[in-house]
Amino acid sequence: MASNSPKLTDSVQLPSNLDATKTFYGIGAAGLIASGVGLFLNSEQFFFSYLTSFTFFTSIALASMILLMVHHITKSSWGTVLRRIPESFISKFWIWALFFIPIILGMSTLYTWTDPAYVAEDPIMLGKVPYLNEPFFIIRQLIYFGIWGYLGYKLHKVSVEMDKTNDWGLVVLLRKLSAPGILLFSLTLAFASFDWLMSLDAHWFSTMFPVYLFAMSFQAIFPIMILITFWLHNKGMLKNTITQSHIFDMGAWFFGFTVFYAYIAFSQFLLQYYANIPEETLWFYFRLEGSWAYITYTLLIGRFVIPFVLLLGRDRKHNKTLLKYTSILIIVLHFLEIHWIVMPVLHDVNFAFSWLDITTLVGLGGIFMGLFFSTFKKNNIVPTSHPTLADSLTKQYHQ
Amino acid sequence: MSKTYEYVPEPALVKGNHDFSSITALVTDINMRPTPKGWYIAFAISNMLLLVLLVSIAYLIWEGTGIWGLNQPVGWGWAIINFVWWVGIGHAGTLISAILFLFRQGWRTAINRFAEAMTIFAVMCAGIFPAIHVGRIWVVYWMFPLPNQMAMWPNFNSPLLWDVFAVSTYMTVSFLFWYVGLVPDLATVRDRIKSKVGKVLYGIGALGWRGSNRHWWNYEKSYMILAGLATPLVLSVHTIVSFDFAVSLIPGWHTTIFPPYFVAGAVFSGFAMVLTLMIICRKIYNLEDIMTVDHIEKMNLIILVTGSMVGFAYLMEFFIAWYGQVEYEKAIFIIRATGPYAWAYWIMIACNVISPQLFWSKKIRRNVTLTFIVSIVVNIGMWFERFVITVSSLSTDFLPSSWGYYSPTIWDVLTYVGTFGLFFTFFLLFLRFLPMIAVAELKGVMPQADPHNYDENGEYVEPKVEVPEPKKLNS
Amino acid sequence: MSTTKNNLYGILAEVRNPKELIDVAKLVDKSGYKNYDTFSPFPVHGMDKAMNLNKSKLGWIVLGHGIVGLTGAFAMIYYMMVYDYPLNISGKTLMNIPAWIPVMFELTILLSAFGAVFGMFFLNGLPKFNHPLFNSEQFKKVTDDGFFICIEAEDPQFDAEKVEKLLKNAGAQNIETIHDES
Repeated sequence: MASNSPKLTDSVQLPSNLDATKTFYGIGAAGLIASGVGLFLNSEQFFFSYLTSFTFFTSIALASMILLMVHHITKSSWGTVLRRIPESFISKFWIWALFFIPIILGMSTLYTWTDPAYVAEDPIMLGKVPYLNEPFFIIRQLIYFGIWGYLGYKLHKVSVEMDKTNDWGLVVLLRKLSAPGILLFSLTLAFASFDWLMSLDAHWFSTMFPVYLFAMSFQAIFPIMILITFWLHNKGMLKNTITQSHIFDMGAWFFGFTVFYAYIAFSQFLLQYYANIPEETLWFYFRLEGSWAYITYTLLIGRFVIPFVLLLGRDRKHNKTLLKYTSILIIVLHFLEIHWIVMPVLHDVNFAFSWLDITTLVGLGGIFMGLFFSTFKKNNIVPTSHPTLADSLTKQYHQ
Repeated sequence: MSKTYEYVPEPALVKGNHDFSSITALVTDINMRPTPKGWYIAFAISNMLLLVLLVSIAYLIWEGTGIWGLNQPVGWGWAIINFVWWVGIGHAGTLISAILFLFRQGWRTAINRFAEAMTIFAVMCAGIFPAIHVGRIWVVYWMFPLPNQMAMWPNFNSPLLWDVFAVSTYMTVSFLFWYVGLVPDLATVRDRIKSKVGKVLYGIGALGWRGSNRHWWNYEKSYMILAGLATPLVLSVHTIVSFDFAVSLIPGWHTTIFPPYFVAGAVFSGFAMVLTLMIICRKIYNLEDIMTVDHIEKMNLIILVTGSMVGFAYLMEFFIAWYGQVEYEKAIFIIRATGPYAWAYWIMIACNVISPQLFWSKKIRRNVTLTFIVSIVVNIGMWFERFVITVSSLSTDFLPSSWGYYSPTIWDVLTYVGTFGLFFTFFLLFLRFLPMIAVAELKGVMPQADPHNYDENGEYVEPKVEVPEPKKLNS
Repeated sequence: MSTTKNNLYGILAEVRNPKELIDVAKLVDKSGYKNYDTFSPFPVHGMDKAMNLNKSKLGWIVLGHGIVGLTGAFAMIYYMMVYDYPLNISGKTLMNIPAWIPVMFELTILLSAFGAVFGMFFLNGLPKFNHPLFNSEQFKKVTDDGFFICIEAEDPQFDAEKVEKLLKNAGAQNIETIHDES
């Protein structure tokens, strides 16, 4: 399609009235200050809430990162016009990494394995000391955030550079970055999931856990991209660029990863439930007794059954109203699921929702979205020069 | 930037100067030409191996499973290894057909028919093992929920029963998928073949297909839905196979990563098997224009990815075995790497984790000979993976007093070798009588098929990509 | 079929390529014909729009099959494991639903796949080994590289001369009258 290659017809600059950077930073600061008050009132609750909220936003950034890298190495075109959204989530990951510091400060509250008296009494815990000890924990975090920070920064920078230089050779560089990136990413994500969440219950173990966290996060990234797209459309942006076909693609991915999530979550549950050995089953026992059980069933129905039924039909996958509400549902439940993983360690009998869950969520959310907007507004919100752009722009929805 | 890279546009899916009718001829002429001599030779060898299988099974039924090397506690030996191995190989077909179809990967059209056929025959080979392993084969129908004289039902809580349902569903759906894809191509052969008998037989297979667009309309919908159904199915089958092991308490078996790890391993071995067969066939049947080096490269990438996923799973297993601090788990992983079966373990690691890493190099990915070698090495490795899982865990279980060394007997070996006879007998029949490439689908992804690639006068204009001139960034 | 119109089945014409097929289909559709069809060796993209085809009903057929598979499997397992022959297996509850899910899933997929395949054949009226179009020698090309359109005599607007003229003006070649010989 030499002569009639399609051109971007929409404005690719985020107008300044849509720039929400400062608003979000303000919200974030307010939330964090409120949470800071909570630190003095109930420090235990503060750290658990903070870990929950931090994991929630980090999981979104990490899902963005893997989505981008997979998109690059598969030379896909479906998401080319959407790419700046995940890129903006990760470009300042190295700043975001600083917000992990409170978790390091709260380690002794969060993780029982930091308590020498407890560890000394428990032969199983003694065996884990070479891995679960404070210095090594901190070193590992430096490695994870170093790798992620670098990948996030680089993936965004090269992509933006391509807009400016028109140099399509950079897609090769992006591929060369992504291929080893995916490998490093999988390893770091795995151990991070062990460190942050699995070791909260220091006896429990599941080899599937990294895959489970990945599946959860990946299911949640599409709703977020869908909502941001709808927000842009609502403001009159990118209406001819992100079309029904792209919305359908996101809806289809959303649906696909809903099924994948269910598959992973169910397999993990079934294997531990079926074998019924104490060091494993206990984790599910805590979450299936008391009022935590209601959350478990809510997750089962809300994160799988409802989106599955709603999005099953082909037409449903680009139905805006349906997608909007399902997306909100999944984002809320993604937070609830992380809450459900973290909190039974603190509140082991009954579900307990603290105001600190809200303030840390708002505080960190403000910072996270502020970082997003500060990048998003600075660059073209759609890549303007890319080998797959023409293909992406001409995509048409077929029944 | 210290180094600049050059952008290379995506290569065309079909090489050479082909139009629709030359593609039709290239593929379906194979079915209409006289049978080549080499085919008879290969077929004869396959038949002899098939005979070996039949004799082994007959003797097994006559004498009982005692003819195999099984002992206590190794109650599962080569039979389950071969079952899992063949089922795993049978995963590439449906993966290529279904998942790559949903992901709109046009390159699948060159290999999907071929891989689907391989799937069906591989699952047939796999199905034999559990069936003959039951001991009393004359009551094999007890596996199904049929009323019987004991008024008992099969145990729906048992993963072995799930396997019965999973494998038979997989076999049926794979066959339907394959057949639906075949219908338009059978019609092509029907319309081209000269022989009367051929016309009738292909005509029956084609069900009176006439390329009607109102038919295509439902057909495409059906194919899409089948792909959507087959995708979770293909995941579920090897997941359920992994449940056979993972729901138990045997050290080294009970680990939650088994489902995705088995699926990745299955895709890994399946792609390797497709490559092995494809590299031979494209040479013999001159299909290098359709099954291009670019296809081989893409498949090698999938092998690299899935091989690394398998390596990732090995690492997770090893780490968690230590992290969990369960004595038996820790022990079995050390025994695997250093114990009596260490040789098998290191063959597995070398073949599955290390050998695919060669494909990081673009040169090697595009080297047909090396690809061929690696594809065979991978399947050897995947056989040993199942060997390590099954035998090492069982032979050194909880009770050290019953530890021992497991060795197969000649009948184990002959049965396994015999399944190759079954596989290749069917595969050769497929190559001879059915179009081995999905002709209709392949035409659909050629640039000539896209109405946008024609100008106002209805003349074909080849699509071109204009690569922009890079600007220097003055920073 | 249509013995009324002198066994005339319809008028078949060939075009050169997918684009022309779409153009002629659009023209025929706009001219108000209802009983016509296009024929091609592979599904042509955008043809459904050009021909104004209704949405395929296949999805609903598959959904129905899937629901039968799911509920049928559950009912069967419930009957066998809980009602007819309850048996305590590894201390789990009789309603051991997590362990039933694999079989329920497989049967759902199996029946849905039956629905997708046989439903498609049913909607397409296949198998149909004998069809008037098979009487045409040139129509054999349809499974190779031929692109055809056929306006059927059953169409209320059908008039052989007008149809021929329409097709000729649209640039179609090899116009042929097809008779139903059965």
